Amino acid sequence: MDRPEGKTGIIGWGVYIPRYRLKASDIAKLWGFDPTTPSSLGIHEKAVAAVDEDSITMGWYAASSAIKRAGIKPEKIEAVFVGSESKPYAVKPSGTVIGDALGVSRKRLTTDLEFACRAGSEAVRLVVSLVSSGTIGYGLAIGSDTAQANPGDVLEFTASSGAAAFVIGPAEDAAARFEAVVTYVTDTPDFWRREGSKYPMHGEGFTGEPAYFHHITSSVNLLMEETGLRPEDFDYAVFHQPNGKYPLRVASKLGIPKEKVLPGLVTPWIGNTYNASALIGLSKVLEEAKPGQRILVAPFGSGAGSDAMSLIVTDKASARVNEAPTVEDFLSRKTYIDYAEYAKSRHIIWRNWG
Amino acid sequence: MEELGVKNMGKVFVAGVGMTKVGRIFNKGYKELAMEAVDKALNDAGIAVSEVDYLVVSSAFSDSLLNQVDISSILAQEMGIDVPAISVNTGESSGVAALEAALNAVRAGKSNTALIIGVEKLSEFPSAKINSSFSHVLDYEIEGIRGIAPINYAALLLKEYMKRYGVKRDDIFQWAIEMHKRAEKNPYAYLRFALDLDKARNSQVISSPLTLYDVAPLADGAAAAVLVNEDLQTTIRTQPVEIVATASATAPPIYLRNDMLDMLATKKALERLRTTVKFKMGKDIALQVHDSFSIYGFLALEELGVCGRGEGVKAIGDLQYLNVGGGLKARGHPVGASSLYALDETVLLMRDSFSGLRYDGDAALIHSISGAENNAWLALLKR
Repeated sequence: MDRPEGKTGIIGWGVYIPRYRLKASDIAKLWGFDPTTPSSLGIHEKAVAAVDEDSITMGWYAASSAIKRAGIKPEKIEAVFVGSESKPYAVKPSGTVIGDALGVSRKRLTTDLEFACRAGSEAVRLVVSLVSSGTIGYGLAIGSDTAQANPGDVLEFTASSGAAAFVIGPAEDAAARFEAVVTYVTDTPDFWRREGSKYPMHGEGFTGEPAYFHHITSSVNLLMEETGLRPEDFDYAVFHQPNGKYPLRVASKLGIPKEKVLPGLVTPWIGNTYNASALIGLSKVLEEAKPGQRILVAPFGSGAGSDAMSLIVTDKASARVNEAPTVEDFLSRKTYIDYAEYAKSRHIIWRNWG
Repeated sequence: MEELGVKNMGKVFVAGVGMTKVGRIFNKGYKELAMEAVDKALNDAGIAVSEVDYLVVSSAFSDSLLNQVDISSILAQEMGIDVPAISVNTGESSGVAALEAALNAVRAGKSNTALIIGVEKLSEFPSAKINSSFSHVLDYEIEGIRGIAPINYAALLLKEYMKRYGVKRDDIFQWAIEMHKRAEKNPYAYLRFALDLDKARNSQVISSPLTLYDVAPLADGAAAAVLVNEDLQTTIRTQPVEIVATASATAPPIYLRNDMLDMLATKKALERLRTTVKFKMGKDIALQVHDSFSIYGFLALEELGVCGRGEGVKAIGDLQYLNVGGGLKARGHPVGASSLYALDETVLLMRDSFSGLRYDGDAALIHSISGAENNAWLALLKR
């Protein structure tokens, strides 16, 4: 059966990872964690947005790279959806700022989405739907976060900053075309941040089995059921990456060897970029995959839900890789900072002004 | 075994037992856990809920974590019965204290068929909150406000024990390794996997020198038991196991003891138990000791006279009937329910077999303490 998403594909992709890195061992030392904590989470260091960066600036950068790779004029883009759980403004859309800064058509749909770490992925689904229905020609889906963590919470080891963006349009022009996309959502309170609260709360072990693992295995199994695809049909698998261990464990539950996961696994070196997490992983895979290879992407967001997507890389992908900075470029561009500098740039230190 | 002080008192038997699997049970509330254990125990006993005429509930943290005071009345309502219902809380040892309350009620003629429920539901909450509640088993005004938790005392005891008896750090891991072996065979256990020295040695430091595998995991679970009086003994469908006696004691806080390695409450409780019944302690007795931290397991073996001081490590390999379900360490520690798990496992062992293990002895002892041994409770069972 022809699925509507088959008419669409990723035309261009782009990411942004801030230059600054904080070593997980520094966090462990400061807060008195056991020195083995970082390795138990599979995390070496995390990316830290500078004092003048936020999810809008990072989202803009990623989107401008995506447009460069797509090779289309910004005016042709008719939708801008931004998935974030760290919007600079509680009320005021990020998508309007990014859209205008990019020169996107003003005859556009624009909204910000919130679903913990999978709003960016929902943005992808929405643009896919709009393109496949013929409502728009091209749309932009962005996931961008400067994730917050309570200082001293285990979350602080991984919560980081980064962005990914995709120009989605007709399959004929795609670097990777969508084969199928499904979503699985339940009411599962594993991670949340209350209105007015500076840092999120989480259910510790509850974020694992009943949340991350249940939802990702459910969405992926649903995808396999609906498409008849099997784990061995995929050449790459990219999952949401809250730490360095979960993606490998969920892969093993699904019968996917770790060799197919490692190419898209970036969290150990940049941390969990929340809405950009799986999407940066996907971008990295797009930069190395060969035509005809099939990619499984399964982002996850607390609260909770997971999308499972099957993408097939086309012969147009490789020519677009070097049109903008690659994920590898960002991974190797780094400057280490200490905890004090991190605290300053992530606004953990409160000052009086004036 | 010779009964001394209980001759004129009626005998009390365990007619049924029921347990849920211990663990982080995210999809059930405490009532569901309790009812699951109750259903199993009543079915095991072959009696209807309407025949229950007395209810004792043991839960250490229902008030602080589940926001439920008077949990026994609430559970009576849940079961649709209108019997006397009391809640018992002696911290970690609440299970045996509840057993004694039910035993007394039956012996006093206030009950023919008493139901005991131990239930704990902790994993709704972040570990900081759970650990904070758990530390409240100590004296809050003296120890709690100074940030002292049971684990800190256990760490001090372990240091002193190793120093005094020349026991090596690696030797202490034998406790966890042995308990995991048992839990692997216990279908109700939380940590059903084998543990080797390497894994134990490399586990995270929790309170130096204690590491992760020296510590019993706090967990969710419910265990229930039905007690009946002598007149109903013939109605029991399975091999009856008698509760011969219980005994308990409190003791001064650890910082006021002359020797911190003495388990004073356990010692006193044992003396009291021996005034009511004569029995032989040895390596072949079915025994459940409280091992919230591995060091307490060794100290309990020594205080109860199973082996000499400092010889626990040497003895443990021979103790086939020790903590048959894996102890708190590997079965898990659903605090108020823990010693009722010990009871249920022991009853199953004495009836027929538990975890594939058969036991020929006629007596079994259950030991439970709370905090840094603020109290100790013992129950002696007979086939």
